[in-house]
Amino acid sequence: MNRFELLKSLQPMLQDNLIVCNIGIPSQELYHINDQPNYFYMLGSMGLASSIGLGLSLSVDKNVISIDGDGSVLMNMNTLATVGNRAPNNYTLLIIDNSSYGSTGDQKTFTDEKTNLKEVAIGAGCRNVIECNGSDTPSNLEKALGDKNNSYVIISKINSGNVAVKPIPINPITIRDRFRKIIGKVDYLK
Amino acid sequence: MRISKTIISYLKKGGADFFLSVPCKLLANMIAILENDKDVFYSAIPREEEGMGICAGAYLGNKLPCIMMQNSGIGNAVNSIVSLLQLYQMPVVFLISYRGTPGELVGAQAGMAKVTKEILQTLRIPMLHCSSEKDLDKISTFTAYAKVIENPVAILCDFNLMKED
Repeated sequence: MNRFELLKSLQPMLQDNLIVCNIGIPSQELYHINDQPNYFYMLGSMGLASSIGLGLSLSVDKNVISIDGDGSVLMNMNTLATVGNRAPNNYTLLIIDNSSYGSTGDQKTFTDEKTNLKEVAIGAGCRNVIECNGSDTPSNLEKALGDKNNSYVIISKINSGNVAVKPIPINPITIRDRFRKIIGKVDYLK
Repeated sequence: MRISKTIISYLKKGGADFFLSVPCKLLANMIAILENDKDVFYSAIPREEEGMGICAGAYLGNKLPCIMMQNSGIGNAVNSIVSLLQLYQMPVVFLISYRGTPGELVGAQAGMAKVTKEILQTLRIPMLHCSSEKDLDKISTFTAYAKVIENPVAILCDFNLMKED
């Protein structure tokens, strides 16, 4: 299973929740599979999808899922310590681990060698860490979303590879405003 | 402690209701105040760049976030400021302890002090430079200004202002 197929299989679980999606091809694939206003596409700032979702989950009651990647988590590894110590129960971090920098030509990341993100996450303080293959990811995500007493880190081990899709044709302010409208927070100046 | 209390109360008066810090000795009193404040979220975090991401999420959830850090943290966070906060037009207040300004005891801090304002200018981030107590009452208006312009703003607090607090 590759990322595109995984993102497709997760669609039913993403609809009622707030989604923050990783930069580059992951967001482009998600957009082309099924664009929704509750999907926040992170267009810059590689590494921060987990952090954006964490800040959001600390501010709203809805479930928040950060869809991140192994290369991005390696870039912002301290996020696992902050998630481990501060994540509320409505937060799920889904790390799609294909052991490669998918958006830059599928160069291998350290998870292809000695680095084990599950062990890093546990060592950083994350308590509910699930590592699984792509086909078991939907059921594990469903479990995480249904558990109102715990936050989860799910590491989905899949194959590398991308589907050729175009860049997202909507501008950042539109992405921001329609996302905040879903949360019910566009009239903040009042 | 008086100055730290004043700064926090003006930040809150301006609307800030979500606080992070990458700690600094000069911020210690403010951190102590926030740790005991039940009205707002506060946490220390490991790195400023990560903090910009958390602030972005808090803003999406209708908070007005404030991240407290040394000026060195601006150096750590440049891309996240430009490619996240400014790209999506997200208001965040940077409360910066201006290390390396006169009174500083650690010479190594002088390097970032020399370039801090130029970096903020290059990033087109509005600045409020607080060098004495009389500057502090501008903080609430400046905090609210972040919301009006939907962009980050920076409040710089000099070493000599904070050292005796």
